[in-house]
Amino acid sequence: MIALEHLTVRYVGRRQPALADLSLTLHPGETTLLLGPSGCGKSTLALTLNGLIPHSQDVATFSGRVMVNGCDTRATPPSSLAPQVGIVFQDPEAQCVMWNVADEVAFGPENLCLPPEEIRRRVGEALAAVGMAGWEGASAWQLSGGQKQRVALASLLALRPRVIVFDEPTAHLDPQGVREVFAAIAALKQGGDHTLILIEHRLDELMPMIDRVVVLGARGELIADGAPHAVFNAHFDDLRALGVWLPQVTLLGARLGLRPLPVTLEQAELALRAYVGSAFHPIGNGHQPEFRAANGPAAIEAHALTYRYGAREALREVSFAAPEGSLWAVIGSNGAGKSTLARLLAGLLPLREGALVIRGRDARRLSARDWSRAVGLVFQNPEHQFVAATVRDELRLSARAAGLDAGRREQRVDELLERFALARYANANPFTLSHGEKRRLSVATLLITDQPILLFDEPTFGQDQQNAQAIQALLASLRAEGRTIGVITHDMALAAHAQHVLVMHQGRVLAQGAPESIFADADVLRRAQLLLPPIGELGMRLGLRPLPLTVEAFAKLAQTPAYA
Amino acid sequence: MLERRNPLSKIVAVTPLMAIAALAGDVYLPLALTGLALFTLLVGGVAPKRILGALIPLALVALGFLMLYPLIVRRELVMHTPAIARIGDLVIYAGALRFGLVAMARVLALVSLSLIFSLTTPVDDFVRALVQQARVPHRVGYAALAALRFAPLLRDELAQIRAAHRVRGLARSGVVGELAQARRALVPLLASAIRRAERAALAMDGRAFGAYPQRTYLRRVTLDWADVGLALLLWAAAAAIILALQALGWLGPLSFVQRV
Repeated sequence: MIALEHLTVRYVGRRQPALADLSLTLHPGETTLLLGPSGCGKSTLALTLNGLIPHSQDVATFSGRVMVNGCDTRATPPSSLAPQVGIVFQDPEAQCVMWNVADEVAFGPENLCLPPEEIRRRVGEALAAVGMAGWEGASAWQLSGGQKQRVALASLLALRPRVIVFDEPTAHLDPQGVREVFAAIAALKQGGDHTLILIEHRLDELMPMIDRVVVLGARGELIADGAPHAVFNAHFDDLRALGVWLPQVTLLGARLGLRPLPVTLEQAELALRAYVGSAFHPIGNGHQPEFRAANGPAAIEAHALTYRYGAREALREVSFAAPEGSLWAVIGSNGAGKSTLARLLAGLLPLREGALVIRGRDARRLSARDWSRAVGLVFQNPEHQFVAATVRDELRLSARAAGLDAGRREQRVDELLERFALARYANANPFTLSHGEKRRLSVATLLITDQPILLFDEPTFGQDQQNAQAIQALLASLRAEGRTIGVITHDMALAAHAQHVLVMHQGRVLAQGAPESIFADADVLRRAQLLLPPIGELGMRLGLRPLPLTVEAFAKLAQTPAYA
Repeated sequence: MLERRNPLSKIVAVTPLMAIAALAGDVYLPLALTGLALFTLLVGGVAPKRILGALIPLALVALGFLMLYPLIVRRELVMHTPAIARIGDLVIYAGALRFGLVAMARVLALVSLSLIFSLTTPVDDFVRALVQQARVPHRVGYAALAALRFAPLLRDELAQIRAAHRVRGLARSGVVGELAQARRALVPLLASAIRRAERAALAMDGRAFGAYPQRTYLRRVTLDWADVGLALLLWAAAAAIILALQALGWLGPLSFVQRV
């Protein structure tokens, strides 16, 4: 059993505490979902549970106490806490420290000075528990993201803790990796021996195994605590105002005015079957409601693009058209060739085989400057783009590189500071900005030349709900100005909002078209190892066509005259 | 076979041979040692392709020595030998060419001998041997291992950062441009390296790293008769080579500096 008693934690250099007077008891065998807006102290809470705070990370204030099985964490050495509470972190790369799988899993037991035979036995058991038996000899480099996270879990299981905390374990994974990690968590839950604490934003997939939801407020205080159904129904409006992740089916239920709000896919299905009887007509009445605008002219057209890194073929005869003014999504598992494609489109890689037409002009005939004025590429990590000491200098540098004359430069910089709500931070160092501000600045530095086509590499990767929503809003506003927005993403919820989707698999185009038809094709999803967004899953179960993928699309379908 | 040998014993076995190669005053000894090294690698089960892959770039460096040496060697050392070529004012003496050949042979021998260790020893095994047998503190050894684990990740990240700067139009060609680009990439790279290191440290502490002054090991690095045998065989072969060359009069003086 774990008990937090009036726990307050404040980091060095911060005025606000990360956790404020938090009291909470976590019972054995319970599976708890921890929710809260970004920066509310969820990760801090996780780190206090096995004593990493205060033992390994310095904090300015640590008052109250955390009791693990009756022992105060402050008075208990990490060597006796590690076998009780383990944490799986977000970044699979950063928590894998050894060079092969067996050594990685053995690392913890070795630290506890267990005898080699015992370590060997535990390594075998732990790997089997995460479905990776037989991978002992594999090198850490050859594992996929999902496998790395499962090895990370196995290396905790080898210490035999009864409590396991997952801190955004799928944020860095492709859909296949997400599926693998959730399966491993579900197997743990099935075993019934562990107390699980989950910090995660893909709630719909997790909801069936959650016993309890704990919500923290923006200042690290306790807002709600109870069974999922009770918490989401009693606090729905507060939670939405707070900006925490909610199950998509719950949001849909609220949108359709269902009471009580469904929390799991099963509940939503049941509630909507009744609803379908009244609000939806039987499927297949021949009427196809107008869903999305028809395809216009292409902003980018590619014909048989092939690209090789040495002998390795990253792209093979890729052909597609990205409709002008659309939100265009490129999806597919890791290594499908998405990033190579983005770089090729942005002119960062030489165009060797195939043809590329950008807004009606042959890309081979474009000068480097004209190309960069037509297509901008925003990288995954905004920090990678920053080079200057202040936000204003960052923009000035871009303006100079873009060849604006001196008089025009300052004016354009001011426009962009205003446009992206960064004027307040004009003299701040870019690295000190918040996640959302950094993202806005990285877009602003590119938009100096006002490109009509903007590509984003994984814009929502590793972001929380608020940032993800802010990014979606940013993309929508850029599109509303008439731009074509391309996103390269693992985020199926983001792809669901697109008008046109390109599915890549092993360097080839597997399918392309409207997301409603792509996601309705079970064969494509299976082959490309993609996941159906939760609303799509619900629509599939209810047999709805065209398949709704977002809450908005579903709600619209319910109001379409043909169905009403 | 070589991969299973104790990393430290490989170093002990190869070091005296490398010292002799570095001292060789004529081409025969280093060439013979190169032959011995390549033979050992092949018998030890290293794929010829890997040997060539490692050797070819270094052989090019050695060739560079051969080309450069006649031009930079002190004239007094070689003036008494016959001139074999004249390019304008520049005279290439036979003695200078010979010094070049010796330098090239030394480099070849040193490199091929070092391959006996480097081609057959995974870094983690080496660190494990240092910790288990050379009494390097395990906190230091394993921290170094975690840091080395990051090297390829940081390399990928650097490539990302450079691409991100290029897309902003900040790339300039030429040496000055390259330097400016490298300097710009440094801050984001450092920021990310520090963050990674912090996360790795938490993940290691979370698994009781450094809980006790000592730790146990799933895999113990062993030292057995085969390791001793490898060293003895290599030394015996080197001694035989030296004696044979001596008998033939091909050994030359053993000294690091070239003499007349």
